[in-house]
Amino acid sequence: MKSWVKILIGLVIIAIIGAFLGYKFMYNKPHPNYENLEADFRIGAMELYNGFKTDPAAASQKYNGKIIEISGVMSNVEVVDSLTVAVFAFEEGMFGKEGIRVTMLPKFNDDLKNYPKNENIILKGFCSGYNDTDVILEKGSVVK
Amino acid sequence: MKMKTLVSIIVAVLMFGNIAQAQKYITKNGNISFFSSMQLENIEAHNNQVNAAIDSKTGDFVIKVLIRSFEFEKALMQEHFNENYMESDKFPNATLSAKIKNISEIDFAKDGNYPAVVEGKLTIHGVTKEVAEKGTITIKEGKVNAASTFNVKIADYGIKIPNTVVNNISETLQIKVDLNMEPLK
Repeated sequence: MKSWVKILIGLVIIAIIGAFLGYKFMYNKPHPNYENLEADFRIGAMELYNGFKTDPAAASQKYNGKIIEISGVMSNVEVVDSLTVAVFAFEEGMFGKEGIRVTMLPKFNDDLKNYPKNENIILKGFCSGYNDTDVILEKGSVVK
Repeated sequence: MKMKTLVSIIVAVLMFGNIAQAQKYITKNGNISFFSSMQLENIEAHNNQVNAAIDSKTGDFVIKVLIRSFEFEKALMQEHFNENYMESDKFPNATLSAKIKNISEIDFAKDGNYPAVVEGKLTIHGVTKEVAEKGTITIKEGKVNAASTFNVKIADYGIKIPNTVVNNISETLQIKVDLNMEPLK
């Protein structure tokens, strides 16, 4: 067999293996480590809520799908099934208290439950949007 | 005697107030999941950030779902779901605005399982369709669970599947709804 044919066959095999591994890697790529992601926005909790309340379309365009760090005083901490949720309530509406709800990563559940009341907290989370009552942040972590 | 009457009136007013408030049941962390069988691999996603409310008096039933809150086992599948299929930047919410038609047959004061017939408008991917589905309302110790399983045709809601994967994805999704609701205080 001529040497250039061998080289060609070798290159084709490498390309096929590379494509297969690339596909496998991409297909099985892990979810982001949300705790370590850099925040796209740092903002006061009330300012974020007011942004969604006054112009939901513009705020959705700006914040949905982004990592947001919010600062404020929690109204309460809710435990729903296996979820722990930090609640920043700003008004009453058809679904009761309305504001920002941050569902925590499980490793931060205890930090949140033990956090001193009426003290400012900084939380980071993935903004999945505004459901006409609350701004929803998920995969939350305690920054400070 | 007068004091007794006054106390009775206050108690009656407070009780009436509680009943009136208890006519609405809500959750902000309801569960909705969907499932689709594929040739290569099944698609399954869960969302536990679902807003829902039932008015036990009027039968009004509202569900609001953020599309980005659906979680998949595979990150790539989640990305494709949001970017290519549901276009969640453009259509961030899905909603059901409906009525429980047989609300008068459900006794919210008495524990039990009650069949429910729900009719209304389902909006997914910016497309609204009339729907009629059956479910179960379970009352237990003053709390309400609303559950249903039904199918949705992807094409009905203008969701386009790329030709390269069209043979791998089922035309219908099986949707499971499981809402644990408490009285609105």
